Amino acid sequence: MQVLKAVITAAAPNQNTLPLQQLVDRNGEEKTALQLIVDETLSAGVEEIGVVIQPADEENYRKAAGSSIGALRFLHQEHPLGYADALLKAESFCGDDPFLHLVGDHLYLTASQTSCASQLVAVACQHECSVSAVQSTREHRLPYFGIVGGNSVPRHDGLYDVRTVVEKPTPTLAEQELITPGLRSGHYLGYFGMHVLTPTVIECLHEVIEDPSLERPTLSDAAAKLASRGKYLAYQVHGERYNIGYQYGVLIAQLALGLSGRDRDYLLTELVELLAKRPESSVSAVPNAPAASKGVDQ
Amino acid sequence: MNATMQADAFIETILSEDAEVRDRSLESLCDGKSLEHLMKHADALDQFRRSESNLYRRVRALFFLSSLYRYHIPARFDAMGTGSIPFDGYEHLLGRRFQEAIDSFLSEQAKLGASDTLASALAQAYHELGFQTLADQVRHSVRTVRGNQWMFRLGHVAEHPLRLRRELAAVDDPDAPWPILRETTAVRMDVSHSAWSDIFFLGMDFPQGARVLNVSVDLGVRGRDAEVRPPIETYLRVIDRPVFRLVSVDLGASAEVTSVAEMFDFARDYLGLLKAAVIASGVVPPGLEGCGASMESLLERVVGRGRGLELVSKINDIPKGSRLAVSTNLLGSLISNLMRATGQIRTLEGALSESDRRLVAARAILGEWIGGSGGGWQDSGGVWPGIKLICGQEAGPDDPEYGVSRGRLMPDHTVLEKDRVSDASRQKLQDSLVLVHGGMAQNVGPILEMVTEHYLVRGDAQWIARQEAMNIYDEVVEALCDGDIRRLGELTTRNFEGPLQTIIPWATNRFTDLMIESCRQQFGERFWGFWMLGGMSGGGMGYIFDPAVKQKAQDWLASELVRVKRSLETSLPFAMDPVVYDFSINDNGSSAELLCDQKATLPQKYYALMLPEWVRTPLRDLSPQTRSELSRISNRCGDPSDAGMDAAELLRSVLPTATHAAKSDSSPVRETTLNEILHRNGFDRSQHEEIRDGMRTGRFGLAANRLARELKITDVESQHYIETRDGIDPAMVGIGQEAIAAGEVGVVTLAAGVGSRWTQGAGVCKALHPFHRFAGQHRSFLEIHLAKNRLASQTHGGVIPHVVTTSWMTDEAIRTALHENGNYGHDGPLHVSSGRSVGLRMVPTVRDLQFLWEETPQQVLDQQQQKMRESARSAIANWARSIGEGSDYTDNVPAQCVHPVGHWYEVPNLFRGGVLSKMLREQPSLKYLMLHNIDTLGANVDPGLFGLHIHSGATLSYEVIPRRLEDRGGGLALVSGRPRLVEGLAMPDDRIEFGLRFYNSMTTWIEIDGLLRAFGLDRDSLDDTQKVDKAVREMAARLPTYITLKDVKKRWGHAQEDVFPVAQFEKLWGDMTTLPDVDSRFIVTPMRRGQQLKEPSQLDAWNRDGGSAYVDSLCQWR
Repeated sequence: MQVLKAVITAAAPNQNTLPLQQLVDRNGEEKTALQLIVDETLSAGVEEIGVVIQPADEENYRKAAGSSIGALRFLHQEHPLGYADALLKAESFCGDDPFLHLVGDHLYLTASQTSCASQLVAVACQHECSVSAVQSTREHRLPYFGIVGGNSVPRHDGLYDVRTVVEKPTPTLAEQELITPGLRSGHYLGYFGMHVLTPTVIECLHEVIEDPSLERPTLSDAAAKLASRGKYLAYQVHGERYNIGYQYGVLIAQLALGLSGRDRDYLLTELVELLAKRPESSVSAVPNAPAASKGVDQ
Repeated sequence: MNATMQADAFIETILSEDAEVRDRSLESLCDGKSLEHLMKHADALDQFRRSESNLYRRVRALFFLSSLYRYHIPARFDAMGTGSIPFDGYEHLLGRRFQEAIDSFLSEQAKLGASDTLASALAQAYHELGFQTLADQVRHSVRTVRGNQWMFRLGHVAEHPLRLRRELAAVDDPDAPWPILRETTAVRMDVSHSAWSDIFFLGMDFPQGARVLNVSVDLGVRGRDAEVRPPIETYLRVIDRPVFRLVSVDLGASAEVTSVAEMFDFARDYLGLLKAAVIASGVVPPGLEGCGASMESLLERVVGRGRGLELVSKINDIPKGSRLAVSTNLLGSLISNLMRATGQIRTLEGALSESDRRLVAARAILGEWIGGSGGGWQDSGGVWPGIKLICGQEAGPDDPEYGVSRGRLMPDHTVLEKDRVSDASRQKLQDSLVLVHGGMAQNVGPILEMVTEHYLVRGDAQWIARQEAMNIYDEVVEALCDGDIRRLGELTTRNFEGPLQTIIPWATNRFTDLMIESCRQQFGERFWGFWMLGGMSGGGMGYIFDPAVKQKAQDWLASELVRVKRSLETSLPFAMDPVVYDFSINDNGSSAELLCDQKATLPQKYYALMLPEWVRTPLRDLSPQTRSELSRISNRCGDPSDAGMDAAELLRSVLPTATHAAKSDSSPVRETTLNEILHRNGFDRSQHEEIRDGMRTGRFGLAANRLARELKITDVESQHYIETRDGIDPAMVGIGQEAIAAGEVGVVTLAAGVGSRWTQGAGVCKALHPFHRFAGQHRSFLEIHLAKNRLASQTHGGVIPHVVTTSWMTDEAIRTALHENGNYGHDGPLHVSSGRSVGLRMVPTVRDLQFLWEETPQQVLDQQQQKMRESARSAIANWARSIGEGSDYTDNVPAQCVHPVGHWYEVPNLFRGGVLSKMLREQPSLKYLMLHNIDTLGANVDPGLFGLHIHSGATLSYEVIPRRLEDRGGGLALVSGRPRLVEGLAMPDDRIEFGLRFYNSMTTWIEIDGLLRAFGLDRDSLDDTQKVDKAVREMAARLPTYITLKDVKKRWGHAQEDVFPVAQFEKLWGDMTTLPDVDSRFIVTPMRRGQQLKEPSQLDAWNRDGGSAYVDSLCQWR
């Protein structure tokens, strides 16, 4: 199995401008988030990338793509009908080929020599099946991710046989159905925002789109079906993901990038200075995690 | 484990996998064993339970030990031993450090030898440790149920993982109502009553025996409700203020919770159950207790910035104590509602799936534990639809209980579909069964403990009864499936009259027995049977009739129940007038509906409750949501077609009304006002004011009751008392017999008290409480005392006049009872000496409350219950402060505001009321009286003791008994070298009491002329009222006045009860021994004779250890 195509989804309302954000990469070069995602994708040996966007955004995306523009094809989602629908817009682009899929609002930082995407593609090629990158996620973050329940594959560190997938489960459900042996208590395998998918997933996406009981179905709904169609694995990649869609998401992603790269000392110095200057009368806010105002499940 | 241990028959019984061996009773193991043998077994068991890792084996060993020390070892002691309980052990016991308490008692036993006193302490400590171990296990299991664990891990609101479903979010139109999620839930009735097998411990140890047949029902109160419907409704909606508003429309209570801590403060208001539901549902998870966060920050995460939640409960005014598990199902309904709203249950509307119902049931168990209450595992049955079998299950490898207990915490539910119980059978059940609430609301906790204990020691009779109940269960299921309701009635009656009462005689009571009897007389063959709902009878009950007469029977029961209640209300604790229900089987269980737009309204009673507050608030201060709600109410009031809105009721809610009639659950007996009562019953206003002043300044109070610390108080020595436990000189017996035959003695039964501890402040007449069956009938304390008199006078000849002393609270009840029952067949002279003094209770001072809670040794409760208690205490202290410390307690029915002024007054009342004078006129030979407390059942006119008293020439001879752990409240002591009785209230240090071997039984032999002399009176001057009054006043002034705090119940709503500690004063009879000019002596008698029944929880042990048989042997029944 060879993975030469990739699909990046960036059409969701309120998130369509995120890939246009300007950041500084590990080497001190200014890049847009889109460029960083595209770099990550290309690092895995992908040759063609389909980016699903709102039609009106194409102009801006072309500008943001920079030098990588040659590898990109823009695919339009006319109406915001959800994640599953967005992925289906890449159906003809992918044809019968397996593809790497990344979401447009995540940035990745590897903890090893190879990029996160390369790690994932290597596993998918070795096992010749769909593989989702996952990360051990504490239960209080459950409202933000698709969660995978499964069992570890013997003799393969960090590799899991997926039994089921649930989008944003409650901890109650997670505890009953999504416990994965080998993780710390209260931790689950949460989607990393990166997948290698085989064409079977397209069938599943069609099914969930046609299922009237599902309102705005997601990839998780389709992936839950994937688990019963054949081999579907989850792999704990060595790296971190940063969701730039959260409040302060871009800032934290930038800090993570900066602190892992060339300008680490400079940033640390600036940070220490900021901390030292913190006025005494500053508001002692509850350390709410991001997206505090998004109480109601949107 | 060593070989000796395995060889021990007791341990073998615990360890055996063979049911035959495992189910051997403790009695059979003890049979024929000597004291020495039993002590060895006790040692081995103690070692075994210390090293055994399996919880249930450990628990069984603990209950074996408790029973050994309570029943089997004491029976083998010789009568003469006395011992004392080490105070540090007692302190450990109160502090729930049971292990340390046991170690302390055992080391004392090793040092000084075994004694009855120490055995009683050991029995109690093992008993408590057993229950604590069991409770810990249930708690652990509740926490480890999958789906519950995360709630205990969450430590900060910022990490809250739940989000409200968007369907519940506010709508865009500012004037439109916000959506409301309504959950309606049934209650459950238990058809089979499989001998309390739904107790968690039983289900977890003996899953195959834990089976019930449980039916979900809708209810209506006959004559009040127009329709039968699911009694429980709960509502949830988002509000535009960042608070958690809780409203119970039935209790008329609402609160806005603004901090997480407040959600855990259960006893602060009447909303504890709603709070427990919010916690158990995970919206405010238990892990957040103590996090210090504001509710606003939590709600911001879950609901959204600036938003809050409102949770409303309504149970259609079903009275408390219905035995239909209303509170558990309400908890279930609230939890289900909140879990739907937060996506923990996937379907927002409609019925629940089986896995959801199990989750709700598990959370309800958690909620009950959090709220410090407890139910059985079948109680959330109302969440399931229709008729179902609920059965205990063996724990499998995937269950957290596996390897710990044989069974799982959560049972399995099998809904019986129409193919098993046809529509016709269901209809037949509804056509025959009459459900009622008998009006009694009693605490079933002690009964459940007794059942657990009987089960664990496999009491011979009880174990056979349990097998029988299990067989009856199978037959009940069969009868219901066959639609044979007549047979069903026979079976439930057989179950009630047979196995259930064998296991727990107190499952029934006089009221229930009379009602069954009455049904049989009225309807004969057409009365098909009785069935008990829940833990004990008297509250919710079922009567099964031939369908042809059901309608008639229902009407008849409605009046008959009230009639019988009236005849017994002074002797049994009723909380309300009985009611008859209409019911139907509910085939939905719990289901929900999202109310939007015009349908998004709350119950009418909600608006009536909230409106006064809203109307008082200036419009500009109301939130936009409330303003728009008000305008909608206004529109609805103008719409005559809107049946759900009664403008008149709303108007009443904001206008002042005469509330008295509406507020209290009234019976016509009480019409007199408090002032009239005080006026008529010799209330001494100046003394009252003096005591109030004293209380406020600290001159009177719990601390001031105590004797000076400098006084030397020690145990008595043998020259200070007469020992009779090893027998009495026959010569003395002869003297006594002769005197009885000569008509020289009379009996005084003190019956002024209302049994505060006996009925937890219900205010019934303890003397008349028919608490135990003797010779086939429930007998009251008074009846038993008269039966003893009869046997004594018949045995020895002569006439023994009997006086019952009363107070205002008990006088009328006792006179009526004696009149209606023809003096219980007693034909000897019987007098009632009416109380001449009455006091007015007062709001306690916070100083006294604190003294009671902090300075006196207090039993620490189980962790959750202790939290409840602390929360309740701060509420009570606030109440005392806000009402005014030391002010008159008048906020209750008059009978609960006045109090008897201590039993000392009951003796001078004999003088003042002319009763003694009359007795002496009628029987001039009368020279002596035997005075005893109402609850000292073993006291009779014993010729030997009487002879001793005569022979001694003393004025007063007090009987004392060797102390047991439960005998708290003073004792016989040497105070500065002089023997006297010291009241518990007067002990300067609680430690001292533990050094005193003898406890005051209060039974006193009185030489009449000597006593009169002490008062400065004689037989002739008894008729001079002024002289008598003066003498009594002078004597009273010489005796100490004690302030005590008593629990008093205030009843309200539908069988709701609040308990308040109130202050009263009293003078006590034992203090006569402090007077140097009165010759007082002390006689040590066997424990049986002086044993007192203070609390219903003592009954089981009293019955099992031969106490009831002993009393029976002293009586002659009519």
